[in-house]
Amino acid sequence: MLDRLLLLLLFLIGFWGIIARRNIIKKIFGLTIINSAVVILFILEGSRIGNSTPIMSSGIADVVDPVPQALMLTAIVIGVCITALALAMAFRLYRSAGTFDIDEIRRKIHDEAS
Amino acid sequence: MKPPDIMMAPVYLPILGAALAFCAKAFFQGRLGKGVEYAGVFVGLGLPWLALAWGLPLVLSGEALQIVMGNWFGGVGILYRFDGLGWLVILLGYSVATAAYIYALGAGPRGPGFSGIFLIQTAALAATAMTVDLFNLFVCLEVMGIASYILVAKSEKPGAFLAAFSYLMVSATAMVFFLIGFFGLYRLTGALSYQGIAEGLRSLPENGGIIALVSLSLVVAAVAIRVAVMPLYGWLPDAHALAPHAISAVLSGVLIKTPLFALSRILMVLPAGPEAGRLMGYAGAVTALAGVTIALAQKDTKRLLAYHSISQIGYVVAAWGAALALGVHTPAGLALMTAAFLHALYHALFKGLLFLTIGTTTDLAGERDVYLLRGAAGMLRRAGEKVPVTLVSFIMGALAISAIPPLNGYASKAALSYALKGTWQDGFLFLAGIGTTASFIKLSRIYWPVRKRAPAPAESAAGKTIHPAVQFSQGLLALLCLAGGLAGPLLSRFVMTLLGGDASPAASLPPQLFSLQNLQKTGLVAAGGIILFLLASTKPGKGLMHLIRRRPRGFQGLFLSFTLGLAGLSLWLFFQSRPVGW
Repeated sequence: MLDRLLLLLLFLIGFWGIIARRNIIKKIFGLTIINSAVVILFILEGSRIGNSTPIMSSGIADVVDPVPQALMLTAIVIGVCITALALAMAFRLYRSAGTFDIDEIRRKIHDEAS
Repeated sequence: MKPPDIMMAPVYLPILGAALAFCAKAFFQGRLGKGVEYAGVFVGLGLPWLALAWGLPLVLSGEALQIVMGNWFGGVGILYRFDGLGWLVILLGYSVATAAYIYALGAGPRGPGFSGIFLIQTAALAATAMTVDLFNLFVCLEVMGIASYILVAKSEKPGAFLAAFSYLMVSATAMVFFLIGFFGLYRLTGALSYQGIAEGLRSLPENGGIIALVSLSLVVAAVAIRVAVMPLYGWLPDAHALAPHAISAVLSGVLIKTPLFALSRILMVLPAGPEAGRLMGYAGAVTALAGVTIALAQKDTKRLLAYHSISQIGYVVAAWGAALALGVHTPAGLALMTAAFLHALYHALFKGLLFLTIGTTTDLAGERDVYLLRGAAGMLRRAGEKVPVTLVSFIMGALAISAIPPLNGYASKAALSYALKGTWQDGFLFLAGIGTTASFIKLSRIYWPVRKRAPAPAESAAGKTIHPAVQFSQGLLALLCLAGGLAGPLLSRFVMTLLGGDASPAASLPPQLFSLQNLQKTGLVAAGGIILFLLASTKPGKGLMHLIRRRPRGFQGLFLSFTLGLAGLSLWLFFQSRPVGW
């Protein structure tokens, strides 16, 4: 149970980062953290029925559930793509507005438009 | 080649085309590079049409192909389902994507990088339309999302980067919630395919209880963000208004509808699905009215169109949700689903057309403000448009969205109100129709001739011309709008057949398209629209519009509305699943 609670805490930290921090780099960190929390949750779930891998050996009874691991590999790849793209956009925003603060960026863009 | 391989062509071929386009970017320059890029585009956007034509007899006969990726056994391999619904959604996607790409050839953005990303997005939407595997749906939505964030930012405006960034953050966060929902369902059932999950849940006591309901809410809310139904619409106006015009057309025409029909595959089979559909249908009717109210207040032309996309998707969702609540295999549910798809298809055509023509006009004028831009028809003429393709196309689009016969919007809105007859949603949609007419009177003022001699706009149009590719794609969409209206009853029977119903002439929606009653209603809506427009032009009206336009919108609001929507959906499902009197 403790591991689940820790994961929930990790998730909430990330979610707080996305919502409450104004720095867009920290928002991206938050996104990465909640993504990782969910990945760990799946891996934990896969190990509920067993912890061993049937690789290069035979006769193992408590085999880990391989499906969550396969799925999470995909999810990690997608997460990396999203993070890279978000950082690239943060860079472009920084170049045009000179700041990472989302409210200030919004204000500057608004001023330019009007 | 076996049938399953051919039916996967709309997914595989654009990926192959994208690979060719990226090769052109990396290895070739000049004419050779262009050749390789356009070969890739032909493979990705042209050849899948042949596969669609090939698959038509198959889906018309009511057959559904189950495709297992890589010949794995069903419990593990990724499942795809090629049926009438998939065929229709792919048709919708490819028609708008093709027209938009032709437009982009003329007006930009251009280049192998753009073509590659555009093709990946097309592949992802075809895959989303066919997948029946929950995790694969996650992957498809993410790929589609990543491609669209990049394409929104392609217009290179700082505002577009901010819009793409907000869109990315809210949608990527929602997809993490989707994963949590998927986790709940996987933990309960151990299955990945919709069918497997549904069977697993049915075998559990109380269909999996509260965990199943919360998990389903998480999945539905995450997909609903992509559909931009109220209250989850906050990211859309900026993204659609600031994207390049061709991309706005695709985003608004296709990308908000594909997830919706993909979601219907889940809700059709899951135990609590009909209830979730019912709530989304209610939200859709509210969205239709609220969206058009905000649209009427806008002063940026493309933002006005973007809010109309929200409003029109509300029409679609209202009928779609009611169809799921009744069950899509009942006659009434089937009629509702048919009307929902018809409106989705027709909206894709006329909204794509409106985005393209408005884009052409505002680029030419260098001005996007509805209150400042005037005399755009003259500018188009001076830019060398002897046959006023852009102007006529815009008028067709505006008439179509205001549901004036004989254009396609009239046919689909008549079908919607016939299918929804007697419900409160129909009343909401009727009011939304009045708002739509009013705001398009407001928008079409940009083409009205200038009364006084205003020097500024005439100068800025000098030296700009309109590319033939732009005219071609606008003309094509305008013709499709007209054809859709004239062949409305026929097409409604066709869609109904593909969705699994009978094809008797009496089953067309509505039975009589140009009946006196329908025409009277159209007249009423048009008159109401004119009155509303005049009311909005008065001083108190303008003050109210200003208030609506200036309502606070921020980054946090996106997440707040997501959380509220999610909580609302969970509570709704919880109380609906309790027996009466609990």
